[in-house]
Amino acid sequence: MATIEDHPDPNLLGAFVEKSLAQGEQLRVLEHLSRCTSCREIVSLTATQPGLGDAVSVAPGRAGWLSWPVLRWGAAMACIVVVGTVVTLRQQRESRQIEATILEQKPEKQISALSSPPAKAAEETTTGAAKPTVTRQMARATRPAENHAAAALSPVEMADAGVGSRFAEVPGRAKAAESQDAQSIKAAGNTAQVETSGAAVVPLVSTNLPPRWTLSSDGTLERSRDSGRSWQTIQVADNTIFRALAANGLEIWVGGAAGALFHSSDAGQHWTQVRPVANGEALGDDIIGVEFADTLHGKVTTSVQGIWITADAGQSWQKQ
Amino acid sequence: MSVFMPNQDFQSEPGVAAGLDTLIAELYQKSKGEELGLTRQEFDAVLGEIARKYLPADAAHHDIRELYTSLRSEELALARACAAGHEHAWVVFLTRYREKLYDIAGYITKESSTARELADSIYAELYGTTTRDGQRTSKLASYTGRGSLEGWLRTVMVQEHVNRYRRQRRLVSLDEEKEEGSQFATPATEAAIAVDPRVEAATDEVLVALPPEDRYVLASYFLDERTLAEIARTLGVHESTISRKVDKLAKSLRKQILAALGRRGMSRRQAQEALEVDVRDLRVNIRSRLAQEKGGGAFSKKKAEAPADGS
Repeated sequence: MATIEDHPDPNLLGAFVEKSLAQGEQLRVLEHLSRCTSCREIVSLTATQPGLGDAVSVAPGRAGWLSWPVLRWGAAMACIVVVGTVVTLRQQRESRQIEATILEQKPEKQISALSSPPAKAAEETTTGAAKPTVTRQMARATRPAENHAAAALSPVEMADAGVGSRFAEVPGRAKAAESQDAQSIKAAGNTAQVETSGAAVVPLVSTNLPPRWTLSSDGTLERSRDSGRSWQTIQVADNTIFRALAANGLEIWVGGAAGALFHSSDAGQHWTQVRPVANGEALGDDIIGVEFADTLHGKVTTSVQGIWITADAGQSWQKQ
Repeated sequence: MSVFMPNQDFQSEPGVAAGLDTLIAELYQKSKGEELGLTRQEFDAVLGEIARKYLPADAAHHDIRELYTSLRSEELALARACAAGHEHAWVVFLTRYREKLYDIAGYITKESSTARELADSIYAELYGTTTRDGQRTSKLASYTGRGSLEGWLRTVMVQEHVNRYRRQRRLVSLDEEKEEGSQFATPATEAAIAVDPRVEAATDEVLVALPPEDRYVLASYFLDERTLAEIARTLGVHESTISRKVDKLAKSLRKQILAALGRRGMSRRQAQEALEVDVRDLRVNIRSRLAQEKGGGAFSKKKAEAPADGS
């Protein structure tokens, strides 16, 4: 009998490649192969020939859910899910950070404008330059705020409200104002809750609510920073009773008795008296209405049905 | 009838002998030897020869049955019928394998004329051109049915190709050597570096203790420079399995050699320094430890060409 300690014959080598030997015999051949370069060469050349699949029975391995292809594709799918989740969460976080940044920037801009009134032009330039860098989310967030300001701008509304009246006292318009206000707050991230893409609601805390403006019954200007829950009197000019108000963001116009017209471009921190003069005639009648469609174009209505129009933010006036 | 009965105890038990006879009868029927011209007596003789080749003289009855059952009886009968010179068997053989012989040769040699030469040579040996005592000797007579006939043919052809290649290497003419520039070859200048005998002993100890498969993977990858895919194909596993095994083995070997050096009185730092300094030498040592020529005394009796004779 020949032993396997000699070189295995082609029968054994071929059977080894085909995995058709008994386990003990397979191990003995493997033991020989681990020491014999010549036989390793023969086995390797035999095993790597194409078309051997019919004869060679590749070790089956563990089939089922733990088989290699399943694990490989499973791992790929898991990676996709994880990456997708991370990207989504990151985008949501960035969106919230941008909204929070917007809210933080607003008061800072107001304060800086107030601290250096002469530098108003420069401040506007800076603001304008900064705008293009604002992301889409920010633009989306500021748009409803503008709408809200436009609604608050209506002097008719304020005039109709009269002395001591507030939005809440004019049901129809108050609802509209509240609704737009709510939208703007929500868009600006000031709302107490921000809906995320899913059902989860993430609370956001912010005290920087956009101010509301109104005229009290005794003709003083009042401002609220908590959506109308509390009001502070804003000192504009001594012994002046105001009857008309227009607010557009930081731009505030108030008009009152004897042609008193004041303008603030920093949300009421500093006031400048404007004296409309047209064709040598100064405005001296009581002002009962002020309307500004934007920061430049405005209309002042007097108690004698006089209408004064400006197209340059009050620098020059025309009387109709 | 010459049923292989090495164990005297079994021979004395008629039931056991009858059981084997029944098994052989079934195998003969399954092999379709009768259609190929192989008689039952010839088939019995073939099985007895195979049992003597692979089993010890005192093999148990169970082992004999297991061996017989594992044989590819149909292909065995075909090969032995061809070797016995039965025409019908040759027709069947040529129909099944002639084309494959040339395909296999083409893959092995990568060159058509050499492939044809190899295939023709093997075909001649299979048919039996050499004579012994006036009888034609066919190489098919050495097929034992342990694996498929096709697998055996592949292995035989690879062996023949490797042997031819080695013979050609040895028979390079002086003119060819000059053309290759052997006279200008730079003499080996690598100085022999003295290696701490404890490192060699530790390396020996670790390599000897490795399982055969691990040693096979290491030798194939580092010595034979086989690719991971080739090793995987040989062992019937996935390429990534071999990749992980190689990495794991490399780390494990270093750790074990360090431990073995520690047992030989080296401190941890000394052992690490010895391995760091002797990385290049260590590789040489591993090569020599894994290689047959210096490592395996049991396998160094025969020359590498020995398997070519099919014995």
